Amino acid sequence: MAVYRPSQARQQKGQTAPQEPNLIPIMNLFLTIIPFLLLMVTISQVALVALNFSSDGGGGGEGGGDGGGGDKAKQIEIHLMLTDNQALGLFPGMEVREPGTDTVRLPWVRENIYDFDGLNTLLKAMKERNTSTEEISIVAHNDVIYDTLIRTIDLCKDNGFSTVHYKSPRSTYYY
Amino acid sequence: MALRSSKPGTRVVRKKADDVQGLSITSLLDVLTIILVFLIKNVSMEAVKISELPDMIYPTTITTENLMENAAVTPVKIYTDRVLLGNDNQLLGSPADLTENPQVRSDMVNYLRYEFNVIPEDKKDDACLIVQSDSNIPCGYITEIVGAAVGTGFANIYFATLEDEQWLQHHVSSTGK
Repeated sequence: MAVYRPSQARQQKGQTAPQEPNLIPIMNLFLTIIPFLLLMVTISQVALVALNFSSDGGGGGEGGGDGGGGDKAKQIEIHLMLTDNQALGLFPGMEVREPGTDTVRLPWVRENIYDFDGLNTLLKAMKERNTSTEEISIVAHNDVIYDTLIRTIDLCKDNGFSTVHYKSPRSTYYY
Repeated sequence: MALRSSKPGTRVVRKKADDVQGLSITSLLDVLTIILVFLIKNVSMEAVKISELPDMIYPTTITTENLMENAAVTPVKIYTDRVLLGNDNQLLGSPADLTENPQVRSDMVNYLRYEFNVIPEDKKDDACLIVQSDSNIPCGYITEIVGAAVGTGFANIYFATLEDEQWLQHHVSSTGK
């Protein structure tokens, strides 16, 4: 029967010092993974702007915003235009229609330069008048360039109109 | 080689050089582990689908929004001369074909419908279309794509932009107002 002797451990010979684990394979793995992940992080710096859709069928370019009928909440509308046609009420610039107030026209500052500063001032004033309103509609005519649409959406969101509806002035049906 | 000492009959013995200490990489490993965990947490595989395209001019915005969690992303890339659909960049045609060619519109609707149908039932609400368009594209083409996507069931549409908090100031200074 073995006898327990506490001091025996001190006299043990041949016991080696604890070996450090070999970390080089792990390091190799890490040094491979980290640049790969860093690369992916770098390329995902694209910002996003979300779009909302009207419940009245006017969103997503599916109609002129008049679909659905019935009670439709009056919304502030920003019309983006490029074509100059007085007969059709079109002019190069923006038209802001707020229910209960006069329509405001913001023509081009110069060719292809929209008056975003004027729109920003107008949106700030509208937000002060309608603090609870978060919805706004943008009616982009087909010839208006995408950059103008995005900047208009951006200004609306920046001024507190978080729900931006996108409408098209013409109807397109797929089904 | 033994050196001669100034004292006759004795030799100076050079001390044996100390063993070179092994480089401790434990602390480096700790740092790398922290970075790795941080990166893994932040990297989204969906984000890869909306990486910045080198040959596209993005519009710039002040506001940005995060992509919804667990989004089933379908990207659409609209260049000035071509439209590419999906992650595998299938060529649809030119942007003008979207309004002028009914066959191209039909192909687009079929593709979007297919993409929507392959999304699992429990993730259909998270179906997300990301429009990556050149800033000089007319809105009419964007409208066609957005309309087709909404018609096929995509409830979430995002526009890819680049963040620039100063664009309005730059605009004001460039217009001289």
